[in-house]
Amino acid sequence: MAETLTSACAPVLAPSVKSSVLDDEAVLRESLRRCAPSTVEAALAYRSTGDTSQLPAIILGIFERFVEPDLRPRLAGESDDLRVIEDLGLDSLTMMEIVMLVEEVTRTRIENEELRGLVTIGDIKTFVECRVRGVPPPAPAKTVLGDEVRAIMPIQAPFLFLDDARVGPSQATASYRITGQEFFFAGHFKDNPVMPASIMLEALGQLGVLHLLAGLPVDEGKVVDASTIFFASTDGVRCARVCKPGDVLTLTLKPKRVKAPLAVYTGTIRVGQEKAVSVEEITLTFGVVDAPTAAPAVSMTQS
Amino acid sequence: MRRVFITGLGFITSIGNTKAAVEQSLRELRHGMARYPAFEADNSPVKITAPVREFQTDAEDPEDWVIPAPYTIKREQLRSLAPNSLYAACALQQAIADARLAPEDVSNENTGLYAASAGSPGILARQVNRMNQLGVMRCPPLGVVASIAGSVQFNLVSYFKIKGASTGFASACAASAHALGFAFDEIALGRQKRMFVIGAEDGNRETILPFASMRALSLNTDPDTASRPFDKRHDGFVGTGGGTVLVVESEDEVARRGATPYAEVLGWGQASDGHNIAISHPEGLGLAAAMRRALASAGITAADVDYINAHATSTPIGDASECKALRSVLGEQASRVAVSSTKALTGHGLSLAGAMEAGFCALALKHGFIPGSAHITELDPACDGLNIVRTTEAVQPRIALNNSSGFGGANVCVVLKAP
Repeated sequence: MAETLTSACAPVLAPSVKSSVLDDEAVLRESLRRCAPSTVEAALAYRSTGDTSQLPAIILGIFERFVEPDLRPRLAGESDDLRVIEDLGLDSLTMMEIVMLVEEVTRTRIENEELRGLVTIGDIKTFVECRVRGVPPPAPAKTVLGDEVRAIMPIQAPFLFLDDARVGPSQATASYRITGQEFFFAGHFKDNPVMPASIMLEALGQLGVLHLLAGLPVDEGKVVDASTIFFASTDGVRCARVCKPGDVLTLTLKPKRVKAPLAVYTGTIRVGQEKAVSVEEITLTFGVVDAPTAAPAVSMTQS
Repeated sequence: MRRVFITGLGFITSIGNTKAAVEQSLRELRHGMARYPAFEADNSPVKITAPVREFQTDAEDPEDWVIPAPYTIKREQLRSLAPNSLYAACALQQAIADARLAPEDVSNENTGLYAASAGSPGILARQVNRMNQLGVMRCPPLGVVASIAGSVQFNLVSYFKIKGASTGFASACAASAHALGFAFDEIALGRQKRMFVIGAEDGNRETILPFASMRALSLNTDPDTASRPFDKRHDGFVGTGGGTVLVVESEDEVARRGATPYAEVLGWGQASDGHNIAISHPEGLGLAAAMRRALASAGITAADVDYINAHATSTPIGDASECKALRSVLGEQASRVAVSSTKALTGHGLSLAGAMEAGFCALALKHGFIPGSAHITELDPACDGLNIVRTTEAVQPRIALNNSSGFGGANVCVVLKAP
């Protein structure tokens, strides 16, 4: 009976040959059989040499296999910032399938709690690479929802242009839905509401403020003083798309250099997949003070 | 009690994947039997099945399945489908279109879904094999909802955004008849306005061949005669799979939507043999009791019945038992009422059978024909006194009964009336 059962379910292994190298390769090829040949080759190379430079190609290749064909072109360009759920249309169960395959190929384990902090393809690449190298992965980004954003920020309505955000040491992202009720639409423009480019730049600057206050690791016992943060300079601003009420802006900011008193970021704003604004450099000044001993206003540990 | 109508049909069956193809097969007595590659192993004495055509679902990975146009299913839905849920999903798409239901008619708190399936033993076996050989954490995350009993309604309720009553029935070969009966109750009692009633089975090696050692399957290797209920040489059933969906609606909804019903569901009855887990009561007592209750529920007598779609699966014991039940309930009407088993054409669909055959009755009542009982060369003497019709007749039946019997001696009879 066992024989008839297994004959119906082709690619399972007889236990006696499980350990042979050839068979490992066969199992790996079977598991990756819907991935591109280059992904399979990268996985085999990683398995035989332990060369971690293969990992990005392996992870991207595994994502490509699970993304619906019409969204796959998005993976062709710069993909590290792509959010697995929002940008690639994958649900959490598909994410489980991806994680299982990544675990199998890289022989690592990713726990459920760790998975929650991984939002973009870049997050996952970094996490897996750290895991296989045996170094601790960076603190995961944390989600900061609207109420908390307003609690943290020194800037408030009607001049706050962040809804929900995710901030981590190496990246901050936020969304802002243009409601049409913003005060400046009364005059910008007459009978033609268009989000001012200066306000979009302001929104990126505000995300920098949030990063300094909620995402930046600073020394034990220190905090960034919210009252010391100011705009300093910007460079290389390009606007590519007119944004109007109803659009949801996705803001992304990456720190290039952060050392008090200067924080230099590079940033983009997208609407869906369309790039609206890119900024080569946006610089804020800030100061660090001793943390209040009783209850720090903002936790820096992202525990 | 509100009146209840069948207003839409969807079929993925061995005798056709559209209602037009199914009706043509019933009228021309074209069967769906064939030799089946998965049965060709030397250790299987059973060679014939009635496979669903155009679909290819034997591959282990659903992404390797062939799904014919016009159906397209996204990977995120496909990964939790067994063949039975796939057939059911396609049949439900047909039934929704056939009943001309708008999206808001499908997804609301007054529209429910009752499904019958026995799960997917093939997928379950592969999962357990995989778990044993590669480890617990190497099983597909959605393997459970693709394989256990209930997988048809789990998938379809979420896939079609059903918001009303939903559950599944697991009374084996009576299951989708139970689903229709209880769906009738939901509407008659005013709890729901509309129900989708679904029967579905994989119809593959793992669902059918386990019946071989029970000696329930035909060993006849000729596709043209392997399934022959009521014939003297019947020697077991021929298995089949597929999916059938009935759209069942209240009279208020029929009026509101201006729908054209196939048939009215007048009532139903059920009773159990209290006898044997797998063998019908030799006198057909449970089935006779179910039929009497069905007639009483519908407020009619045997004199009102024109046609009975028998459960008769082509096993000598089961067919004979049903003949006794029929004679007992029909009494002096026995020689008049037309009786046939469409399983001669389709094979036995197990959990699918009740809904599929109720669908056939609905077509017959709507379009004025009585399906014949095919493949009878010499009538089994057990049928003495009954009017077993051997060819499809172009006469308009007014009232039809559909019988179903399942493991444990569960029996269901549903009464349908021409619109």
